[in-house]
Amino acid sequence: MRELALHILDLVENSIRANSSVIEVTVAADQTADRLRIQIDDNGPGLKVTPQQALNPFYTTKSGKRTGLGLSLFKAAAERAGGRLTLERSDLGGLRVLAEMGLRHVDRSPLGDLATSLGSVVCANPHIDFHFRISHDGHETCIRTSELAHELGLPPDDSIALARRVIETIRTELETARGLA
Amino acid sequence: MTRINSPKDLKAVQEKAKKDIDLRSGQKDMRITVHMGTCGIAAGARDVLAALLTELGPATDKVTITQTGCAGLCDQEPMLTLTDKAGGSFRYGRLDKNKVGQIVREHVLRGQPVLEYMIKC
Repeated sequence: MRELALHILDLVENSIRANSSVIEVTVAADQTADRLRIQIDDNGPGLKVTPQQALNPFYTTKSGKRTGLGLSLFKAAAERAGGRLTLERSDLGGLRVLAEMGLRHVDRSPLGDLATSLGSVVCANPHIDFHFRISHDGHETCIRTSELAHELGLPPDDSIALARRVIETIRTELETARGLA
Repeated sequence: MTRINSPKDLKAVQEKAKKDIDLRSGQKDMRITVHMGTCGIAAGARDVLAALLTELGPATDKVTITQTGCAGLCDQEPMLTLTDKAGGSFRYGRLDKNKVGQIVREHVLRGQPVLEYMIKC
């Protein structure tokens, strides 16, 4: 995959399939330390296999399939950029996928269109409360979709208007994010 | 997007969002499911969903957008499945944003399936 935003989308899909009702995505760029941290937390059932199995591209829990590429591709993207990927227990009670890598590393994949990635999962999953945290240069933005829908007076199933709003907000936020392209 | 500086600004955003909702007070006519497994995402499923959001414009009263995983037809990704009120299911494959635009204009808005882009089994 060409963009980190696509990896994020893929891992959020994993959390959705695990029946999570709360999913938190954190993208944090630290210019001083030259590190980029991407973290996906959920309140699903957590890992039912060992981390080694989960990261094996030829292991999947889905029937009828022989490969499970999502996590291993993200791990490769992190390692290529001088980083690593770890799986641990999330504060939310489910799984935490944590990837750290060099922010200015020559082989770091571009972040890509994060706004559309996150907007698309909001659009298709109105029943999930998504928390998005984006921080860069000491500035942090947090969006909670349940709160945003309430502020905008949207009914719970009006995911299209909510998704459009999330895309606009994140896109505006990232316009000012120096070095996070 | 303009920054919200006052309750008045927030109210304006709310009014705009309400107009979006008023458009879709009736029963939805269709469900569009975008296949977003790893294969679909790598092939461009996100762009398909983004194109739907753009192309539907104010016509979002007609449809619900959902997502699902890999359908086992990875070579046909990115794909979407359109289910109509009568229970008919139409699976479109190898999509791009132009094809999505055509599907929205012809199938979603006029009820005419676009045979050319449907997956032949």
